[in-house]
Amino acid sequence: MPALLEITGLRTEFRLKGGVLKAVRGVDLSVDAGETLALVGESGCGKSITAASVLRLVPPPGRIVSGSIRFKGEDLLALSEERMRQIRGNRIAMVFQDPMTSLNPVFTVGFQVAEGLRIHRALSVQAAEREAVELLTQVGIPAAVDRVRDYPHQLSGGMRQRVMIAMALACAPELVIADEPTTALDVTIQAQILELLDRLMEQNRMGLILITHNLGIVAERAHRTAIMYAGEIVESAPTAELFANPLHPYTKGLLASLPEFGTPGEKLATFAGGVPDLRGDLTGCPFKERCPIGDEGCARETIEMREAAPGHLVRCRKVS
Amino acid sequence: MTPLLTAENLVKQYPVRGGMFAEKRILTAVAGVDLELYPGETLGLAGESGCGKSTVARLLTGLTPPTSGNIRYAGRELAQMSRAELAQYRKEVQMVFQDPFSSLNPRMRVAEILGEPLEIHRIGSAAERRERVAELLRRVGLSPEHMMRFPHEFSGGQRQRIGIARALAVSPKLIIADEPVSALDLSIQAQIINLLQEVKKDLGLSFLFITHDLSVLRHLSDRVAIMYLGRIVETGSRDQVLSRPLHPYTEALLSAIPSIDPKKRTRHVIAKGELPSPVAPPSGCPFHPRCPYARPVCSEKRPELQGKVPGQRAACHFSEEIFLSEAK
Repeated sequence: MPALLEITGLRTEFRLKGGVLKAVRGVDLSVDAGETLALVGESGCGKSITAASVLRLVPPPGRIVSGSIRFKGEDLLALSEERMRQIRGNRIAMVFQDPMTSLNPVFTVGFQVAEGLRIHRALSVQAAEREAVELLTQVGIPAAVDRVRDYPHQLSGGMRQRVMIAMALACAPELVIADEPTTALDVTIQAQILELLDRLMEQNRMGLILITHNLGIVAERAHRTAIMYAGEIVESAPTAELFANPLHPYTKGLLASLPEFGTPGEKLATFAGGVPDLRGDLTGCPFKERCPIGDEGCARETIEMREAAPGHLVRCRKVS
Repeated sequence: MTPLLTAENLVKQYPVRGGMFAEKRILTAVAGVDLELYPGETLGLAGESGCGKSTVARLLTGLTPPTSGNIRYAGRELAQMSRAELAQYRKEVQMVFQDPFSSLNPRMRVAEILGEPLEIHRIGSAAERRERVAELLRRVGLSPEHMMRFPHEFSGGQRQRIGIARALAVSPKLIIADEPVSALDLSIQAQIINLLQEVKKDLGLSFLFITHDLSVLRHLSDRVAIMYLGRIVETGSRDQVLSRPLHPYTEALLSAIPSIDPKKRTRHVIAKGELPSPVAPPSGCPFHPRCPYARPVCSEKRPELQGKVPGQRAACHFSEEIFLSEAK
């Protein structure tokens, strides 16, 4: 059986005045039904562009230059825009980070949640609104019958994020991509939203790609985790294995720098330098300048992903 | 030891307008906060957005006058200070802001950004100021060559270093840092946390550190205070509050943090609902509508900060009785 979503060799680029920015540089990923895959990396590493590529929503001047994205075996990149529109928001849905800018301020939340149902399920306005009330209740919005008539600005951040989730779930999608779904929220509200996503995933056997930089959330929620750096996946493994036995120097450094693992008052581990310029091609390992164990070979050779342990892939030639 | 800075029953209210015919209402951002900050210590102030922690920072730095209450610095009341004393206060108490993108003037070069506080406080000659700016840049891990550049030429982490250098320029005694690492990427966060620790140790500074991130709070603070809806609900040493909380809100906050370490993972105590509006705060204990342990008296009477353990106090009627979870 093919994976729910299988990305191979994805490359997404932006043609800018100063050169071609190669944001996603050959990404391979797969997600199964009922599985949560966490995609982790710092800002600018290409994780959000990877997500946008799956839905073919890369903002111009960006474009997907090569690779394939198979959804239940069907290549999304080969579909007509018309067919793609039938999948987007229907079978694959997206939850964005910032509900204030992703919700339309001039329509009621009920109208926005019902929109997908009217388009994809051809429900009447009344039937769609009844369904919207049902969905908003499911995501834990109290007195949803009244709330459907509210505009986004009348709701709190946590409530807006629930509306975004209700919108994403409206058509019972098979795959949800959530880009930093709780970053804008407080921890007590974050806990509520994550519990909700978990419960709904279990009910519907949805696949979930969870994009985040919060390693605590990853450790608690994801089945598998992929670490992204400078447009490449540098390590991927079952989550428990990744945290117990990180192999890539970048992953190790990232974990070591967390205050959670430091001794209060002592220095935290850091790495020097910054991410490489993603315009043009990179030779060798993208992490070479910051790597504590790198050598001349790392600057020259093209480094392939290798399986270091069952299901544990790493892109580093120094790891045996 | 006498505290360097004391806040007594600090209150800050803002009028808010409803619609055209609605009555004017009062938003109470800070509803009676007491704080003490001792020389050389780091006090961590934590709470969720809207709890009033940033308003406390603005009141303490004198950026906003309080509606009522006192701030005392080195034994003198702020409201009684002469102009000269106030100028001295503003020199000795400096602030580091959250967003290094909006807190630096984009039209000023680094040399001007760091030189301005020196000029305002009339410190040194032009040549001495230049030398001081170079020294400050080295101090925060940048290079004197960066002096003639503009803020946009720097990354977020470097800009936060400039923000810290600006606070250090006039040799302060106390730094109030409002979420100084929340806008930064993970690997950069650790660098800035280390830098703050380093300058604190080398220069013998006191810190008031405001954050919503409890792992950062644990790493940096000697003592902590937890705020909820404009009030401090619990205070004590770092280990007391973060390992053996006495207030149900602190417990909920701690248990809501996802942890990487499976050993530290506990059942999440989910706080029900959301932060109530500071325009219409609940009666009695402000946390009672969300509290899993609430009893009838909680909606009637507001608990005061109290405690039997030396150094630790919580504003809860039942903190002695309720079984609160053990160390996480």
